[in-house]
Amino acid sequence: MANQTKYWKGLAHLNNDTAVAEKNGKEFAEYIPVEEFVGDKSTLEANTSRRDFLKFLGFSTVAATLAACEAPVTKAVPYVNRPEEITPGVANWYASTFFDGHDYASILVKTREGRPIKIEGNSLSKLNGSGTNARTQASVLSLYDSTRLRNPKMKAGNAWSDKTWDEVDGAIAEKLNASKGIAIISSTIISPSTMRAIGDFKNKYKNVQHVMYDAISYAGVIKAHASSHGKAMIPTYNFDKADVIVGIGCDFLGNWLTGGEAERQYGMTRKVSADKKTMSKHYQFESQLSLTGANADERTPVKPSQYGAIALGLLHEVGGEGVAPTVAADAVKKAGAALKAANGKALVVCGSNDPAIQLIVNAINKATGAYGSTINTSIEDFTHQGDDAAMKKLVENISSVDTVIFYNANPVYTAPKALGFEAALKGVSTKISFASHVDETAALCDFILPDHNYLEAWGDHMPRTGQYSLQQPAIRPLFSTRHAQESFIKWSGGSKDYLSYVKETWSGMQSMQSNFGDFNAFWINVVRDGVFEGMPAAAPVAEEKKVVKEEPKTDSAKADAAPVATATAGSIVFIGGTISMDEAKSQIAATKGGKYEVNIYTKTSMGSGNQANNPWLQEMPDPISKITWDNYVTMHPLDAKEMSLFGMEDETMMVRFDQMEDNLDMVNVTVNGHTVKLPVWIQPGQAKGTIGIALGYGRKGFNEYVDNIGANMYPAIGMSAGGTMVYSGDAAMTKVEGETYRIAATQTHHTMMGRNDDILRETTLAAYKTDDRAGNPLNTMHTYKGEQLTEEVSLWNDFERPNHKWGMAIDLNSCLGCGSCVVACTIENNVPVVGRDEIRKSREMHWLRIDRYYSSDTVKEVAETTGEMGTMEMYRHMESPTFDNPKVAFQPIMCQHCNHAGCETVCPVIATTHSNEGLNQMTYNRCVGTRYCANNCPYKVRRFNWFNYVEYHRFKGLNPAQDDIGRMVLNPDVTVRARGVMEKCSMCSQRIQAGKLDAKKAGTKIVDGAIKTACQQACPTDAIIFGDLLDVNSQVSKMEQDGRKFEVLENVGSRPSVFYMTKVWNRDDANATI
Amino acid sequence: MTSLWQNVRSSRLVVVLSLAFTILFSTNSFAQPDGKKLFKANCSSCHTATDKKITGPGLKGVLDRIPSGDWKYNWVRNSAEVIKSGDAYAAKILAENGGAAMTAFPRLSNEEIDAILDWAHKGDVIVGPTGPTGPVEQAEEETNPWFLIAIIIGILLILITTLRYARIHMQNAVREKEGLSEEPAAPFMEASRTWVNNNKKLVALLGVLFFGWLVVKGWYAAKGVGVYAEEVKPGKWEGYHPSQPINFSHKIHANDNAIQCQYCHSTVEKSKTASIPSAMICMNCHKGIQETATPGSKEEIAKIYTATGFDPATNAYTNTPVPLQWNKVHVLPDHVFFSHQQHVVVGAVACETCHGDVKAMGTVEQQRPLTMGWCVDCHRNTPLKMEGNGYYTELHEKMKEKYKGQPITVAMAGGIECGRCHY
Repeated sequence: MANQTKYWKGLAHLNNDTAVAEKNGKEFAEYIPVEEFVGDKSTLEANTSRRDFLKFLGFSTVAATLAACEAPVTKAVPYVNRPEEITPGVANWYASTFFDGHDYASILVKTREGRPIKIEGNSLSKLNGSGTNARTQASVLSLYDSTRLRNPKMKAGNAWSDKTWDEVDGAIAEKLNASKGIAIISSTIISPSTMRAIGDFKNKYKNVQHVMYDAISYAGVIKAHASSHGKAMIPTYNFDKADVIVGIGCDFLGNWLTGGEAERQYGMTRKVSADKKTMSKHYQFESQLSLTGANADERTPVKPSQYGAIALGLLHEVGGEGVAPTVAADAVKKAGAALKAANGKALVVCGSNDPAIQLIVNAINKATGAYGSTINTSIEDFTHQGDDAAMKKLVENISSVDTVIFYNANPVYTAPKALGFEAALKGVSTKISFASHVDETAALCDFILPDHNYLEAWGDHMPRTGQYSLQQPAIRPLFSTRHAQESFIKWSGGSKDYLSYVKETWSGMQSMQSNFGDFNAFWINVVRDGVFEGMPAAAPVAEEKKVVKEEPKTDSAKADAAPVATATAGSIVFIGGTISMDEAKSQIAATKGGKYEVNIYTKTSMGSGNQANNPWLQEMPDPISKITWDNYVTMHPLDAKEMSLFGMEDETMMVRFDQMEDNLDMVNVTVNGHTVKLPVWIQPGQAKGTIGIALGYGRKGFNEYVDNIGANMYPAIGMSAGGTMVYSGDAAMTKVEGETYRIAATQTHHTMMGRNDDILRETTLAAYKTDDRAGNPLNTMHTYKGEQLTEEVSLWNDFERPNHKWGMAIDLNSCLGCGSCVVACTIENNVPVVGRDEIRKSREMHWLRIDRYYSSDTVKEVAETTGEMGTMEMYRHMESPTFDNPKVAFQPIMCQHCNHAGCETVCPVIATTHSNEGLNQMTYNRCVGTRYCANNCPYKVRRFNWFNYVEYHRFKGLNPAQDDIGRMVLNPDVTVRARGVMEKCSMCSQRIQAGKLDAKKAGTKIVDGAIKTACQQACPTDAIIFGDLLDVNSQVSKMEQDGRKFEVLENVGSRPSVFYMTKVWNRDDANATI
Repeated sequence: MTSLWQNVRSSRLVVVLSLAFTILFSTNSFAQPDGKKLFKANCSSCHTATDKKITGPGLKGVLDRIPSGDWKYNWVRNSAEVIKSGDAYAAKILAENGGAAMTAFPRLSNEEIDAILDWAHKGDVIVGPTGPTGPVEQAEEETNPWFLIAIIIGILLILITTLRYARIHMQNAVREKEGLSEEPAAPFMEASRTWVNNNKKLVALLGVLFFGWLVVKGWYAAKGVGVYAEEVKPGKWEGYHPSQPINFSHKIHANDNAIQCQYCHSTVEKSKTASIPSAMICMNCHKGIQETATPGSKEEIAKIYTATGFDPATNAYTNTPVPLQWNKVHVLPDHVFFSHQQHVVVGAVACETCHGDVKAMGTVEQQRPLTMGWCVDCHRNTPLKMEGNGYYTELHEKMKEKYKGQPITVAMAGGIECGRCHY
């Protein structure tokens, strides 16, 4: 049965708004001001004679000839002494680790001629595997940030001056010696060696307290476990072992703990095939449509204030001492029953930082038997140890402190207004920061001692109990920066460089393994692998622990005494206390939400905002809203109507959508005494009475181009009585009259023809179990011979494929829409950043986009049951879904490498051609920019270089290639395109050619999987499979034979080499026909 | 423009001169026994055949110093063994040379060792540039045509101006005689316009000639950048011969001394670039060879020392290195991906195919057009090397079937598709 679902990319698309419909008809949506280019009106009207034309022609011939006469002399400057490991033109890979206090990933760094140019996941890592998230991918650019500080700085009066390291060390030593109380404020530190260095520092200066403070706090989870398990910790969650997953306000696919692991594990549970027709079932309760909610089988929009009631309801349903569900009772009952039936293979996670709710969640997980099955408490997660209560205490007792040291923490930007941090800091006489920019906190400091970029630094990490990883530099420091740890070592009177210090730490770990008797052999092996597993024997630690414990001076120092042991001994230091079940229940019962509740969340692209100056991340469309370069207020349409936004006073006119993206109304939102002015984005799936605003925007301290993008929402975070951060609260909103904002959203850009199953195919697990081709009927055509399969009908002859036929399969079931591939593609292929203004004109250059489709519940089958079949009413319902809860599906679209490509036949200069390996090749140096190909592309995947993005001053500060240092990140194997040429996905042809050459040199056939495209490599869930379709044993060939395979717009007859696998939902409601 | 021309001119002169010298002085190398060649190939990076010590001792008079008998063979083939045996002389020279052990040469035969030592014992003679020993081929002084044209134009301008003023003065003189008042000279532009008006045919002719010249120039320029490449005539890129910071002769190194290309261009089989050797590669030999018989060699070799920061007086790298900036000869545009390893390893293409007879060149000049048409021609005519390569097994079978006895060229397998080189 064909799928009758209507898909829509945005409200304007749904309502078939004229402006959008018109846009969709064109490849180049924006009006092209040709006449303005040519000149003003008088020029156009001027009578240019034939003689004048010939004169111009003659002149240009002369000019071109003269210009061509002189060949520039190209210089070649070889190494004076070529380093042994560098072969020009060949990449070296180094295992390292990325941890910025928000995301953790064990990585491989690709370097060319000594320059790191790409980050990939380390497949040896048990956490992230070979996939990486977008933020990790993009982090390589932070190395080449030319706005990084190049020297240590000291403040005299209000002016900064550059100093040498000796000068600042001298000045700081004086201050430290005279200091009465020192506080180190850092984000979570999972490095044993860093903790040792801080321990040394504490030993030298007895009055030191160390507070770990995270921008995004997990203190609620820690406190709940301290209460329920008697140990302050975050356990490890194994989504891959769960059959039933319930998320309560938890965006675990986008931003959860290590940022990537959950995605990988979840993706594994979502994969189906003819041999494995089972998958996990995912229920989600949340206020705002998140990436996770979009992937959920059953999603229920609720308010943040109801999370507690939901948790208690679930607890009741699974047989615990909860409260019978009152909110979303049906959904809770269903989820509860499923959890109970899962027999321990169940997992409930909650994104709230409220310890009360987290405690209830723990109780649910206990009741379902998740502990020991999907939750492992013996392996703890250390990546988020931030203790809100400790931070609060520090601020309260700030008078006992006269020196503050900030390490990888920016509390002036990230702290809630309620904490009063900035004011407290004013009373501190000496402030030292290790920031790499004069960021919000560093600007108030007296010293800035820029730390190395993570790709320049040594380091070690212990993200989990017994799981270690090493961080090795992939390049020498570009500027005069220094390991922050070296500063601690130096101030403590040590003289070791940090590498020897790290080695010293690791000499103690050698005993955890038995493969290498010699330390050097052990060390070299760990440096090569990047990861190491071993359970700590806790030998060298005990000693240090003792030393510190003898010396506590103040209360807070006592509480803080153990961190030295934290990383190696494996326990989180936490002073937040505990909470009892009764307290939790009464707190939840007392929770009342206001008229509008805000959900303060982190975006998949921006995370905590510490990479806010990264143009790749800014330009990456948000997975759900598809908005770039801004944060905004997401709102339910009825709330918008109530606030008279978008001219929705008129009862009969539900929403005026025409050019909605161009004219967003603005509102002032006040939360917890902090007011931000932001545009309103009507978000399908938003719970009524709630709004959502992302963190990580409104940063300062980089440069004029990336400062002050969006508004900072951190100050609006609330603080509970117990001291934990609260990421929700009541919001007061007023409309800003007479002001609109044009947002850069890509959701309706590059909309393909068709809104039905010619684009996207979905089915349910139940249907798939009985039929491999469920939801995926064969595509047929009426011909003179009668009904024929589309693939048998063609005007064209087939190409010969003597050697390879490259193909790509994209599994829509495991594609979660995270966008990691988009960033990976951008980096690999030197895709230019175009900035907000150009995106507003639909001119984004991404070769790979992820289309996000909403769809409604009503399909013809449903209409049959309701008796609406064939009526106008039915069609109205089909097109008008409940805004509360549309279904969402993601579909990555890149060049489909059609075997009968529309673009190839229309190019007048044969710049786009077909290879005998099935690739659609784009030859930039041949292209003259007629753009016919783009007009003829049914998939709208071709991108035109409207400007010389690498030189034109308008893109300065946005485009990394405009900068002498930023340019070093470019991939030397891929041409940087010039203005006026068309470009598109090449299926990473540089990687294909390299892979072929390797095979030729080895004299063997290409091994399946040896060549990976950039998107495939970055994908955390292995949803993208590339390979040779002529190789019958390749994975991609097998997927081509699968019943779920379909081609987008198959009826067009373009015979794409990229195909998709029908999305299977594990939905069981009566209406679920898809 | 000018600098390029000057570069080309001066480098040609130098090359021709140095070629002449090398031919003169290298002729006697054939008369020498094998010893010299063997010495150069195996020993010269650590030893000289003079008294001068570099890494190892200078070997002049070596046969007088060393123990007689088989000692020398044992020592050369495996010195470590000799030292281990407790030999007194071995211990002595080890101490004299700071404990640096000598590389073992187990493959040298007794005869070869004898030949080397005999030759080194006699000592190498550094032949300086001591006057002409034969007719030196003088390079014809090439004159920069632009310079000439500028001079001619200058002279013409002076002539025209002089004549113009002479004419004006004479006209005035005539008018004065006739009792008329002096007529002010017309402005230059106006006068030129008048002249052009009066000589339309001449101007038209000049214009046509100029246009024709431009067309010809443009045609070659277009050919040079590879738009029309079927039959590129020598004229643009072929023969491009820039001067180099060091007057490095491939003939001396690759031909006379038979050093393999890969010794210096060491990444040619591993990477897409053959790589221009780092200056330290030069030092492998030139740490010892500080001067040769070639005139001017001392100064040129000294440039390597400047580049690497080497101080020959102390035999140590104590100065600041100044990287060499070579002028690239074989330049492909940025939008072309060319892989040396693909051609050299998989295709077994000889270096000469694209680089010409480098062994006969002084500083390198471009002998092949390196245009796209030229590349494509080669791909159309060169058989694909498929035998014995497992990667091609299946393709080979298919192609044999299809083309039945015809040679299967690179192009037939898709070797001229755009996307193979442009991405």
